[in-house]
Amino acid sequence: MNYSLSFVFSLLGMACVAGFFGALLGVGGGIFVVPALALAFHLPIKIAVAASIVSVIATSNAGGSAYVEQHISNLRLAMFLEIFTTGGALVGAVLALFFNDWTISLIFSLLLAYLTYVSFSTRNLDDKRIAENTFTNVKQDRICAYLQLNGSYHDVAAGKDVAYVVTGAPAGMGIAALAGLASGLLGVGGGVLKVSALNRYMNVPMKVAVGTSKLMIGVTAAVGAILFFMAGLIHFMIVAPIAIGTTIGATIGTTVMNRLRSAVLKLIFSGLLAYLSYAMFAKALELAFAIHLPYAGR
Amino acid sequence: MRQTNHDEVTEKNVYTDVYRLLIAGMLASTIFFVIGLILALLHPQSFSLSADWIRHQYQWSVIRHGLATGDPMIFLMIATVLLILTPVARVIVSIYAFFVDGDTKYVVVTSIVLGIMILTVILGIFGVQ
Repeated sequence: MNYSLSFVFSLLGMACVAGFFGALLGVGGGIFVVPALALAFHLPIKIAVAASIVSVIATSNAGGSAYVEQHISNLRLAMFLEIFTTGGALVGAVLALFFNDWTISLIFSLLLAYLTYVSFSTRNLDDKRIAENTFTNVKQDRICAYLQLNGSYHDVAAGKDVAYVVTGAPAGMGIAALAGLASGLLGVGGGVLKVSALNRYMNVPMKVAVGTSKLMIGVTAAVGAILFFMAGLIHFMIVAPIAIGTTIGATIGTTVMNRLRSAVLKLIFSGLLAYLSYAMFAKALELAFAIHLPYAGR
Repeated sequence: MRQTNHDEVTEKNVYTDVYRLLIAGMLASTIFFVIGLILALLHPQSFSLSADWIRHQYQWSVIRHGLATGDPMIFLMIATVLLILTPVARVIVSIYAFFVDGDTKYVVVTSIVLGIMILTVILGIFGVQ
């Protein structure tokens, strides 16, 4: 292959769109980057996963820094849960090195199917539910109390400081480990799992959940990236436009997200995710049994 | 009710350190990515998708030669390494900041995360090829 202008710009453009869609949906770009690289650019799945995980670090640095500056991310909570996300990521990345390409495609297809369900089932949830929550009126579990996990942030939209007390450490630890596993194995950030765990089980306001998750993703993805780098799977020529593109796309996406978020948008994404899930399943069948199902880009 | 953090002023220092580090890592890697991309486009070269070809780029002799000749691949490699090292540096800076604050619990918590990262490097060196 030649490193032509058109190749670089097609990768950059795809990554921009992936980062943009990812930010709109509240997930990272990885969930779209890996299928695009595998299905449209015909890259081996492990090279796609390795390139994606590096771009995930880039978007985490960019997005996470903004949340840290505004003190929305909870650093202590992030540090605590990172023990489990990095542990999970290490196991996931080792599995990625040993699994066949078709196995990884199949697991990716299942993750996309799950995200389709989540996106479809939560399409009518709005910020009212979050506004009605009382975030300080809970009893802390022993782990969270010992680690003094609580905090407050200034909510610009509500025009006030919102204090919260963190609880539900066991559920958070388990889901964080699962998110780390997905990150290391599939080259995604795993943000969607972490945000829902923080918000639903750990009594963390949505904005803090997003900011804290964004920060954790970088450290989690670094573990996978280190292992893939040392295993010689990171293709620098491919990583460069992907990392820059997803960062640009995610930054634009995050900026416009609050204005665009709606039930219709989530419905459209559900359809897109369902299609990608099918296409990755078709890819897995093709790799494993040479069964050719139709999908765009084949 | 919300408990008061034992030292909110010093905790702000941790936030400032982490923020500065993330921005520095992002800027440094982006600069190297852009230089590498421009050079690669000015001097188009063929590349392969095979694992053997990628591993070849990691060899010291290739890196040394690339540094001497200004090979775009070296700039892209440096950018990638800087990007991967940013979260690692973030963890190290956090340990230091918690240590300065005398927050022993979080020095331990953050050190465990660093330990897992070091374990990953050890696995990469000895186990996984």
